[in-house]
Amino acid sequence: MKALEAQGLQTYYGKSHILDSVTLEVGEGEVVALLGRNGAGKTTTLRSIVGLTPPRLGSVRIFGEAVTGWPPYRIAALGVGYVPEGRRIFGNLTLDENLLVPVARPGPWTIERVYQLFPRLSERRENKGRQLSGGEQEMLAIARALLLNPRLLLLDEPSQGLAPLIVQDVFKIIGAMRAEGISVLLVEQNVRAAVAVADRAYVLDDGRIVYEGAAAALGADEARVRTLAGASAEKWEAVD
Amino acid sequence: MTQLIFNLFNGVIIGAFYALMALGLSLILNLSGVINFAHGGFLALGAYLAYSLMPHIGFWGALVAAPLLTGLLGIAIEWLLIRRTYGRDPLYSLLLTFGLAFIFEDVSRYIWGAQSVPYQIPALLSRPLSLSYFFITGYRVFMVALVALAVAALYLLLTRTRIGIRIRAGTHDLATVATLGVNVRLLRSVNFGLGVYLAGLAGVLAAGQLGLQPTIGTSLIMPSFVAIIVGGLGSLPGTLLGGILIGVASGITSVYFASATEAVIYVMMALVLLVRPRGLLGEEGRLQ
Ligand SMILES: Nc1ncnc2c1ncn2[C@@H]1O[C@H](COP(=O)(O)OP(=O)(O)OP(=O)(O)O)[C@@H](O)[C@H]1O
Ligand SMILES: [Mg+2]
Repeated sequence: MKALEAQGLQTYYGKSHILDSVTLEVGEGEVVALLGRNGAGKTTTLRSIVGLTPPRLGSVRIFGEAVTGWPPYRIAALGVGYVPEGRRIFGNLTLDENLLVPVARPGPWTIERVYQLFPRLSERRENKGRQLSGGEQEMLAIARALLLNPRLLLLDEPSQGLAPLIVQDVFKIIGAMRAEGISVLLVEQNVRAAVAVADRAYVLDDGRIVYEGAAAALGADEARVRTLAGASAEKWEAVD
Repeated sequence: MTQLIFNLFNGVIIGAFYALMALGLSLILNLSGVINFAHGGFLALGAYLAYSLMPHIGFWGALVAAPLLTGLLGIAIEWLLIRRTYGRDPLYSLLLTFGLAFIFEDVSRYIWGAQSVPYQIPALLSRPLSLSYFFITGYRVFMVALVALAVAALYLLLTRTRIGIRIRAGTHDLATVATLGVNVRLLRSVNFGLGVYLAGLAGVLAAGQLGLQPTIGTSLIMPSFVAIIVGGLGSLPGTLLGGILIGVASGITSVYFASATEAVIYVMMALVLLVRPRGLLGEEGRLQ
């Protein structure tokens, strides 16, 4: 059984046609990178999967369950953690309160355990979400999703706007998720770090999948990454 | 001097009603984006339910039961009608709640008559507390205390319970709350019921002070909207502050310039908006 099977997604914002027949899958325990230049449709793909922008055509199966058209809360209840682009922390709530929003599913991840994973967060429990730094907000967004005890974790540009050291931390955490057996779909602009952590990769361009294959093969072909994913040289060099 | 204290005290009482109404309106507006014009109708309904229940279960029983029943009716109406307007042009919910307000008023008139009905409060509460300040009746103190209690309970609910924390999170970003596994349809219904409960409670209390006729809600709803704007959209503490401020302002104005008692709240709103467009405690960017 696959963690995720998305088949022929056609997604629109109003009249504008964004995703054109996007098909992708994530095997159980697999880490899959979804790459592509700005505006390619990566965020829209994740929103289609979690039910925020349901596809007009096509189907989504999660752990074998046909979830197309389900409201987001039911999809989350299957064990789908979503770390959205821009983190979307509840800035008006304290950090402790932010962690009380998710409907926790039983499993190894509890509030105590996520505070152990992110000691920086446990020092700032009483602070409002909006007072946290970008890195802390990213950690909080991941912590919040972990409380669902996800079997499938979707991350949308978790390294965006973070200092290189923090970016390393974020990718370490993604590695740790793999060790926990969580299946991961990772959207990234940081192509080099993403292909290093992923098993397989997809590249989206203008709403279509234009590449699919082993992450290592894509990572070895720098020229190809530049043309497909539009990654700049700086981004390629950014980590380590 | 006594006159000033009298009107100040009266202002606090009226302000407490405005605040209670406005808090319910604010809860609903913040989470669902619905400006509930039927709020005054729910207030009237709470009062009439209490009036009809009192012969059977007494004032205290009615004080507990009538707001609860009003809140349940609110949930039913949200489920049947109001939720269909979510995510659409705000005009839909405006027209719907405006229509509901008229329906409530006419139904009240049909069942309970157009004239005011005799609304009994316990003798225990109608006595003045002191001879020199004869206007400070037990009932007035009781109302202010009960509003304070309701506000405190609301505060605890919103800060100490998961459902309250989710309501506040949803005010900020409802879609993200949904992706965390929260049934936001249910959350909005419960929240609507909570707002309407507060209207029902305000009704039960207000009827003992202002008398009870079908239009009781109408006179309180506009100032409640003003309270929200003065306090700042999106801020419940602001709403509370706004309600009490405009109540006190109209209380004081009635001493020195009685004919401006009603106008003063709109003047206040204009002044606040001129100096601080987002209201006293409003979040930045809510109004833009
Ligand atoms: N709410 C919206 N309404 C209309 N069009 C939108 C909306 N959100 C995104 N789009 C458009 O859809 C296309 C795909 O956007 P999407 O956000 O999925 O891209 P992305 O690959 O995530 O880009 P980025 O790397 O910048 O985050 C873009 O052309 C964008 O302009
Ligand atoms: Mg994006």
